[in-house]
Amino acid sequence: MRNRTFLTVGLMAVLAMAACTPSSTSPSPSAAGSAGATQSAVAQASVTPSKAPPCAAESSQKDPVVDGVEANAQISFWTYYLSPTFDDFIKCTIARYEAAYPGVKVHWEDHQASYLDDYRNSINAGSQPDVANLSNNEGWVREFAQAGKLLDLTKNAPSDILGQYFPNLLADNQVGGDSYQFPWYQAIAVELINKKILEEGAGLKTADFPTKVEDLPALCKTIKDKTGTLCDIRLTVNDYLSQITYEGGADVMNADGTKFTFDSPEAVAWLQMYVDMVKAQTVDTDALTTALDRVSLLIFSAGQAAFYQTGPQLIRVVKSNNPDLYNNLALAPLPLGKSGVTQPTSMAISVKADTKFPKASMALAAFFTGPRAMLDFAKIVPIYPSTPAAYDDPFFSETPALIEDSARPLAKTIIQNEKNILPVIPHKKDVNDIVRQAVESALFGGVDPQKALSDAVAQANALLP
Amino acid sequence: MTERRSITPYLFLIPALALVATFVLYPIAAVVYYSFTNYDIVTPPTWIGLGNYQHLLRDPTFWKALTNSVVYLVATPIVIGLSVLLAIVVNRQLRGIQIFRALYFVPAVSGSIAIGISWRWLFERNGMLNSALISLGILKEPVQWLTNPDFVLPIAIALTVWAGVGYYAVIFLAGLQNIPEELYDAAQIDGCNSIQKHWHVSLPGLRPQIVFVAVISSLAALKVFDEIYVLTNHTGGVLESGTTIVFYLWRQAFNLSHAGYASAIAIALLLVTLVFSIFLVRGLERGTAAA
Repeated sequence: MRNRTFLTVGLMAVLAMAACTPSSTSPSPSAAGSAGATQSAVAQASVTPSKAPPCAAESSQKDPVVDGVEANAQISFWTYYLSPTFDDFIKCTIARYEAAYPGVKVHWEDHQASYLDDYRNSINAGSQPDVANLSNNEGWVREFAQAGKLLDLTKNAPSDILGQYFPNLLADNQVGGDSYQFPWYQAIAVELINKKILEEGAGLKTADFPTKVEDLPALCKTIKDKTGTLCDIRLTVNDYLSQITYEGGADVMNADGTKFTFDSPEAVAWLQMYVDMVKAQTVDTDALTTALDRVSLLIFSAGQAAFYQTGPQLIRVVKSNNPDLYNNLALAPLPLGKSGVTQPTSMAISVKADTKFPKASMALAAFFTGPRAMLDFAKIVPIYPSTPAAYDDPFFSETPALIEDSARPLAKTIIQNEKNILPVIPHKKDVNDIVRQAVESALFGGVDPQKALSDAVAQANALLP
Repeated sequence: MTERRSITPYLFLIPALALVATFVLYPIAAVVYYSFTNYDIVTPPTWIGLGNYQHLLRDPTFWKALTNSVVYLVATPIVIGLSVLLAIVVNRQLRGIQIFRALYFVPAVSGSIAIGISWRWLFERNGMLNSALISLGILKEPVQWLTNPDFVLPIAIALTVWAGVGYYAVIFLAGLQNIPEELYDAAQIDGCNSIQKHWHVSLPGLRPQIVFVAVISSLAALKVFDEIYVLTNHTGGVLESGTTIVFYLWRQAFNLSHAGYASAIAIALLLVTLVFSIFLVRGLERGTAAA
């Protein structure tokens, strides 16, 4: 009896310890943040804004105006990874907004690694911000719009406000044909070239850098044979279907959206390309499979890769980490996939569906995404406006002095030709996880790419009604 | 004469009970409830009964994660063995021994994420391990340790062992210092050498500490998360090679927004931990009784 009592007490103590006692290395999932969120395309550690004032006193551009803004509105505004680097810009833009709408107050917060978790928790807790910076590329806008948490801008925003954006950007992440986001800052992807490895080491020319993705494997083989360096290429592990679509030129769903089709010959060929590179050991598999773009960026910044695909604004990270590499840097246009189009790379600002101050919230979102604020922002860091009017400023036709600004004269053309050709994917996160497992089984498990993708299609189709 | 029961002790217990109820009991009850629902955190949960548990039984990734967690238990005997050895080595009155004791405790007070990042650097393609092995002529080309499915779990286990040895060694050191010196003297008189003294005196004397460390390190191994999260760059390793139960639970809840299914995984983990604990405690208790 005594032993049984002891055992019971002992078990209760054990369970209590299991609940409360940390491991030798303190497991704490809550400390980890969300793996799905990539860093802002703009804000990185150690970036240094340019010397331009955060908000120009005079501007060739105007701020958009929304009529009927609620008097004395108090609105909350969240940004993603913009503080402390862009504090001055955010604050002076808010100040200008508050001056334009006297009595309205903005409470601004910046959230970083745990942004997506914080945002979800705020919805759960009933404290969702009125205005929030969300990522189009990560599918956040669509996720929360489908959950009914974002304001339908097609139905509620003034048409002249919506008309100030590039139509292709406004059409991103639509749900049911309606827009739920004001397009904000855009990034342009380019190839950063380490001239020491590519030109001096491998004897190649930056001008001859491949213009097509399908030519990259041959380049990687040459670089490895001549320099021993592996290619620093990343799979978009959070959005395989985008990569299959844009790079592979494959349709991932049938025309009426009732079946998945990402086991087509085009998709198989796309996967086979990566399987061949892994087998030939011409790619860094850490970079290939990481969920963090910073891993690949740091490999390149350390001078350990010949090229790396990113936005010019991240050249500042290279400059800060490795000035010698910065002095040996070149840019090349991004190789195109078989689709022949590039995907928009954009951040957005959305409004809470049941905000008490819809007009004030939309006015703030339009203010930040409007031509004047976007021009100010573009002068601080190499991002690009979502409004055609902003490009009329001479700033965008000047000859750039720094390499990180060299995409600027081409930005308008590139951005207005970007196209979202990915269909709306039902159960997108689950399907992506299925595709991830299939891709890994082909890359590392020896499974035939056709079989891997066909099995994945069967699993994905089982999720559809 | 009957005793009057006083309510005063219970009044003193109320604040603590309120905290336990709010931060322990309520979350447990919520997880149990959510495990029977379809819940994505953003929209209200919808009741689906045993749907999550049925899915669990058919989910190959869950079973892979559970297998990885069970394999992770191999860290326990390794960490116990090394900790006991370390405690024996530093249980001496030598000059400067306090510095060594402090040094080996450093991993225990270092942040788990910082340790994980340091180990990532060690095992990266251009990391110290590859550099050392290439310079010694053992390797001709760098190995991508952390994207090789065969190495992810062993590296994570090694990290756990390395980080835990100092912490548990302190426990064993305290135990060693409680063993009467006369027992060692008696062993010496009986003709025991150093190894025999430790085998016949130190280890039996450390039995209570070994039982304690075995229980807490096993439970920690079943709950491991940080090491996997950092070493695999948030992916769990290619082919789920490093995905453990808690990592899988986290992925389901926060990457895939299946908080209901993640709750079911948490309940499954609770049951596994409970069953494991029963067998472990009973087994160790039998060993103590036999001794």
